[in-house]
Amino acid sequence: MDLLLTLLLRNLGRNPRRSALTVAAVAMPVVILVLSFTIVAQLNRFLDDSAAQLRLAVAHKTSIINPLPYGHKARIAALDPQKRDIIAVVGIAWIGGVLANDREPLTTMGVDADEFPIAFTDHLLTQQEREAWQRDRRALIVGRSTAAKMGWKVGDRVTIRASIPPYSEFSFNVISTAPKAIDPVANWCHLSYVFEERARSGLPESSVDLVSFLFVKCSGRAALERYRVEIDRLFENTPDETQTQDEKAFLNQFISQQFDLPTNLTLLALITIAVAVLAAANTMNMSFRDRIGEAATLRALGFSARFGAWLSLTESVLLCGIGGCVGVLAPVIAFGYTPIGDVQIPLIVRLEIGPGVCVVALTLALAIGTIAGAWPAIQGGRLRVIDALRSLE
Amino acid sequence: MTLPLYYNWRNLFVRKLTTLLTVAVIAVVVAALIVLLSFGTGMQRSVGGSGHPANLLVLNAGATAESTSLIWPEDARLLVQTPGAAVGPDGQPLVSLEVVVQTDVRRLRDSSSANVAVRGVDDVGFLVHDQVQVRGRMFTQGAREAIVGRAAQSLYRGLNVGDRVALGRSRSHEYEIVGVFESAGSAFESEIWAPRTMIADSYQRRFDSSAVIRLDNADRMAAAADYVNGPAVRLKATSEPEYYRQLSDQSQQVVYLVLGLVIIMATGAVFAVANTMYAAVDGRRREIAMLRTLGFSRLAIVAAFLVEAAMIAGLACLVGIAASLPFSGLRRDFLSNVTHSVTGFEIVITPGICLAALAAALLVGVIGAAAPSARAARTPIVRALRRG
Repeated sequence: MDLLLTLLLRNLGRNPRRSALTVAAVAMPVVILVLSFTIVAQLNRFLDDSAAQLRLAVAHKTSIINPLPYGHKARIAALDPQKRDIIAVVGIAWIGGVLANDREPLTTMGVDADEFPIAFTDHLLTQQEREAWQRDRRALIVGRSTAAKMGWKVGDRVTIRASIPPYSEFSFNVISTAPKAIDPVANWCHLSYVFEERARSGLPESSVDLVSFLFVKCSGRAALERYRVEIDRLFENTPDETQTQDEKAFLNQFISQQFDLPTNLTLLALITIAVAVLAAANTMNMSFRDRIGEAATLRALGFSARFGAWLSLTESVLLCGIGGCVGVLAPVIAFGYTPIGDVQIPLIVRLEIGPGVCVVALTLALAIGTIAGAWPAIQGGRLRVIDALRSLE
Repeated sequence: MTLPLYYNWRNLFVRKLTTLLTVAVIAVVVAALIVLLSFGTGMQRSVGGSGHPANLLVLNAGATAESTSLIWPEDARLLVQTPGAAVGPDGQPLVSLEVVVQTDVRRLRDSSSANVAVRGVDDVGFLVHDQVQVRGRMFTQGAREAIVGRAAQSLYRGLNVGDRVALGRSRSHEYEIVGVFESAGSAFESEIWAPRTMIADSYQRRFDSSAVIRLDNADRMAAAADYVNGPAVRLKATSEPEYYRQLSDQSQQVVYLVLGLVIIMATGAVFAVANTMYAAVDGRRREIAMLRTLGFSRLAIVAAFLVEAAMIAGLACLVGIAASLPFSGLRRDFLSNVTHSVTGFEIVITPGICLAALAAALLVGVIGAAAPSARAARTPIVRALRRG
């Protein structure tokens, strides 16, 4: 075993340039792997965390952007007057929003002020925040990544122009930057403020009391399943039929429709694995050919064919392992400890590379090494000692 | 004096497996680059290239998209007086009031739901949007009939001529599809078009979403926009191409993200090529010394190795293009974060994209071969010859 180790290390150091290039050629695909998997994992975690909130999303059946009458809220709540299964129903009016002289669309939503803290327990964590929210009609909870991007902090006064009628300017007081919120982007304000603004601007009465969605907080999985069906049944054959989904399915339709990023990034990652395998196999093949004479000599000295095979395989795994470490560490350091980390990736907010992704990437790197080393190892096992020695110069 | 290309070509076959693996590495990178680029450009072209340069799109002053814009009839009437508006055969200015709403349809591919834009237009709409070409029959004003864009028809279920599509606020009004239209690959092809009055009635809308004004010529854009933006009307005017260019910002971001990843991938390929070429140089030290002795210059040696790498890259590029061709013609759609409706696009592998891929492959090959070739040129002649 000692001999194996010694030979292994000597072999790695024998052609340092080749070893370094191989490490680099493997590291690059691993970087992509880490980045792609992190983006996908973050999207999935976002969906799973949302699903754990036990909320149903009720939207208009005709189209996700058709508004629902606010009256639907009371009718849904009346399904369970004791509030045993349905804990809270929150009306949500999407107003989008843009800042003056900025095209970047914001996600701002008006919500029922009383029910929001009950249904969205990841917001308004302190008593102080809750009081500020209830007290101030113009209170705004800003998503933490939006806050970071815009440089907003608690106590700021911000003016956002709604992207939908009446397009009026809302002036808000930032009361929280939602440090623990699952959704790091969305901003939340009082629904009553939105309704008032609509009425004030002279929108017809029928256009005032409208919400984009209703979110229904349930007490458990069983209730979730039951009301997913029952709510749609309640509004069947009315002018405003509903489509009720659990929150994960609801959010997923937005994420998967925006370029289907999870699928496409996974595909890209798989392709890069292929690149790494090919690059590493190339090196191992070259190294093996250079050392045919040695392999034969070892065999002639009485070492088993297995020993030679092990030597090739371990070298390959070691090289790719180092490449894997470099490929994992580079993005971890870049996104964790340098200004690159502040770069906003489109659709994702801030890359947080988790240990799980690192372990997966390292495992894959070792697997790449195994595959790449397999061919020379098999060749080494089959080596005909006499022929190999004869071919020596 | 340069070495004959045949020399390089033969050398590729000396180390067959190594050449093959190197070709494969670059080919995979090339294929990924081509598919991703065509994906990105297809997406951008579907939106970004839309609009006529002499068309002025009018939205509510606060709106960011047609789907969330609202123009009251009394404001719409003022648009008829827009300076520079072209005049139609009936003597009326070419001002097309349009209602843009949505309906939920199912994708053919996986039955998932897609929010498709539905545009209500009058006859004047087809004079303003004169790139729209209808195959089959045009809808009749006053009838519940619709025509469907080519992209929408190929992506979504139940949108063939003769089908009935449910539209309206509660989707209770059935429209018969009587024709399919093309509009030079623009975003309109992802929409359903129907008579404006019928759509307004079905969706219970008493206002329009947008107005499109055809001007005499594109030079009058500024004056017309001033009128629309000004105190008389107080709406927001954008040239139609500019509006669609802004909508394609989102896809632009994805293109950048993806290109970033491909560049990392290509860097990995550079290292792989360098490795191969170093091996080639090391294996031919004596040969190189021999060539030098015969009178070939250092430059000729460098050139020879660069040409060899370029051959590998060129070969890889051909393989990569071939591997990416099955993706050509694939149709997908994406949900805009501004309009909240879907736009279909086609992945088209154009000669331009293939050229870009070739350039990238050659770059990878040449950068990878640069250091090894320099090393080859520095081969000390006497020592290399003596070793044998």
